[in-house]
Amino acid sequence: MIRDNARVLAAAFTSALADLRAIYTWRTWSFAWLSRILAQVAFYAVIGRLLGSAERTQYLLVGNAVFIAALVSLLVCASTAWERQAGTLPLLVAAPTSPFPLFVGRSAQWLLDGTMCASIALFVLSPLFGLPMPMPRALLALPLIALVSWSTYCFGLVLSAFVLRKVEVRNLVSGLSSLTLMLVCGVQVPTTFWPAPFPQLAEVLPLTHGLGAVRDLLSGAPAGVVVGGAALELCVATGWLVVAGLAFRHLAESGRRDGSIEFGD
Amino acid sequence: MGEPTGSAVVVEGLRRSYERKRQEPRVALDGIDLSVAVGEVHGLLGPNGAGKTTLCKILSTVLLPTGGRVEVFGHDVVTDTAAVRRLLGIVFGGERGLYGRLTARQNLRYWSALYRQPRAVGRQRSAALLERVGLADRADERVETFSRGMKQRLHLARGLIGDPKLLVLDEPTIGMDPVAARDFRTLVGELRAEGRTILITTHDMAEAEAVCDRVSLIDGGKLVATENPKTIGDWLSTYERVVAEDVPEDVAVSVRAVPGVRDATRSEGSLVVETDAAGAAGRVVELLVKAGVARISTGKPSLADVYLHVIGDRGSVVR
Repeated sequence: MIRDNARVLAAAFTSALADLRAIYTWRTWSFAWLSRILAQVAFYAVIGRLLGSAERTQYLLVGNAVFIAALVSLLVCASTAWERQAGTLPLLVAAPTSPFPLFVGRSAQWLLDGTMCASIALFVLSPLFGLPMPMPRALLALPLIALVSWSTYCFGLVLSAFVLRKVEVRNLVSGLSSLTLMLVCGVQVPTTFWPAPFPQLAEVLPLTHGLGAVRDLLSGAPAGVVVGGAALELCVATGWLVVAGLAFRHLAESGRRDGSIEFGD
Repeated sequence: MGEPTGSAVVVEGLRRSYERKRQEPRVALDGIDLSVAVGEVHGLLGPNGAGKTTLCKILSTVLLPTGGRVEVFGHDVVTDTAAVRRLLGIVFGGERGLYGRLTARQNLRYWSALYRQPRAVGRQRSAALLERVGLADRADERVETFSRGMKQRLHLARGLIGDPKLLVLDEPTIGMDPVAARDFRTLVGELRAEGRTILITTHDMAEAEAVCDRVSLIDGGKLVATENPKTIGDWLSTYERVVAEDVPEDVAVSVRAVPGVRDATRSEGSLVVETDAAGAAGRVVELLVKAGVARISTGKPSLADVYLHVIGDRGSVVR
C-alpha cells in the first residue's frame, strides 16, 4: 500500500517536473518570473525604507519574501484544475488506486518553485537593503521556507478539491486565498493588528507560524522558539493535508452521485 | 487468457436520472437490461443523448446508478467498486484524457503506477504497448505534438496498460483518418482474440458491423434492440433515400406505388423518397428518369433515420 502510493507520488512528481519544464526555460524563469518576484518583494521593502525604519524594512522584506513561497504554492489550485480541462479526472477516479497521492504529487513543481523564489528573494534582497543575515544561522530559513511552501500547498489542495467542481472560479479562489494569507498571517502587519476573529483564524492558516519562525530565526531568538514555530506550522500542514484527503474523497464520491465527472470530450 | 465463459457484464433494470432545479428529473437511462459475454465485442449504438456514455460511465464506476444493478465479472459496480476498477480499461474518443506535456512513454508509466504495477512491469508494458500501437519511434516526444490519430492510439495503449479484462471504448475512432480507423479495428480484433471483452460505443454503423459480435441500439435511455452485425448491415443496405427535384404530382403518385417505397414526401420543393426494400431505390430512379426528371440524388439514410425506421418498425414490440 505504502509502496504503491509512493510509486504514484513519484510518477505524479515526474509529471509535475515535466509541466514546470514546459512552462519555463531557465531563461524565462530567471529573467521573467524571478525578476518579477524580486521586484514585488523589493517594492514592499522600499515602502519600509520610505518610512525611515530599518525594523519596518526588515519586517516587510522578510514577510513578503516568505509570502512568495505561499503565493506560488497556491498555484496548486489552478494546476489541479488542469485535470478537469485535460479530461483525465474520470480516468483518475476510475483507477484502482486512490487519486489523492497523485494529486499531492501532481503540482509539486510549485513547492520547488515557491521555495526557490522565496529563498532567493530573502537572501539576495536582504543584503541589498542592508539588513542583517547572520550566517550560518540564517541558512536555517531555507527549510523553514520549504515548510511554509508545504503547508500552503496542503491548504491549496483543500481549495483544489473545491476548484475541481467549479473550475471557472480557480483563479478567483487562489487570488482570494493568497490575499487573505497576505493580510492576516503577519506578512505586512502583525496578526494582532486585525480584530477578532482574524488573529484566531491566522493560527490555523498556513504561513503564520512558519513566517514567525523565520522572523525569530533572523532576530536571534532561542532555538526552542524557532523550533516551536516550525512545529506549529508542521501541525497546520498536517491538518490541512488530512482535510485535503477527505475533500478529494468527497469530490470523487459526490461526483459519482451527481454525475459531475465528465467522460471524454 | 483462458477460454472465455459466462457473462462479463450484466445489466439489469438500470436507471439513471439527474435531479434538476424546479424541473422534473432528466432520465438518461430507463430500465436497461443487457448482458455481454466474456470475450465478446459488444457495440452500443445510438444518437447523441441516447444514454450510451451514461452506461459507460456507470460501468466505469465514475457514475452511480439510481436504480437497477450492474455487475462486471460478478462484481457489483456500486458495492465492489475496487474490484471492478482493477478489471477495467477506459478509452475515450477525441483528444482529452492524456497529459500533453508528458511524452507518450511518460504517460503510460504514469498510468502504470496508478494501476499498481511494479516499476519494471510498467517499463516493459509501456514499451510493448507503444510498439503495438505504432508509436515506438515517437515514444519520447511530448504528446501535445502528436496528431489526433496518434493521440487516439496512445489512448488505446493507456487503456490497456492495466491489462484489463473489460475494455470500454467510448467513440474511439472520432477524428481518426480512414487508415488509422482501419488499423484500430484490426487492433480491436486482436484484443478480442486475446479473450478481452470490449464494449464500444459508436455512431458509425459500418464500424459496428466491422468489429462487433453483437450490437445494442439505445435510444432515449432505453434499449431498443440487440442484434448481430449482419442485421445492421441489412439495415444499411435496405434503407435508402432518393431525392428528386421538379417532380410532377402524377409522377410522385407513381413513385409512391413502387413496391418497397416506404414514404415519399415533399420537402422544400423536392420529393424525398424513403425505401425499405432491396432494389426499391433503383426502381424509383428508373421511374423518375423515364418521366424526364433530371435532378436526382440517392444516398444512405443517416443513422438517426435508420433508428427512426427501426424504432418505428420494432420499438413497440422490443421495448
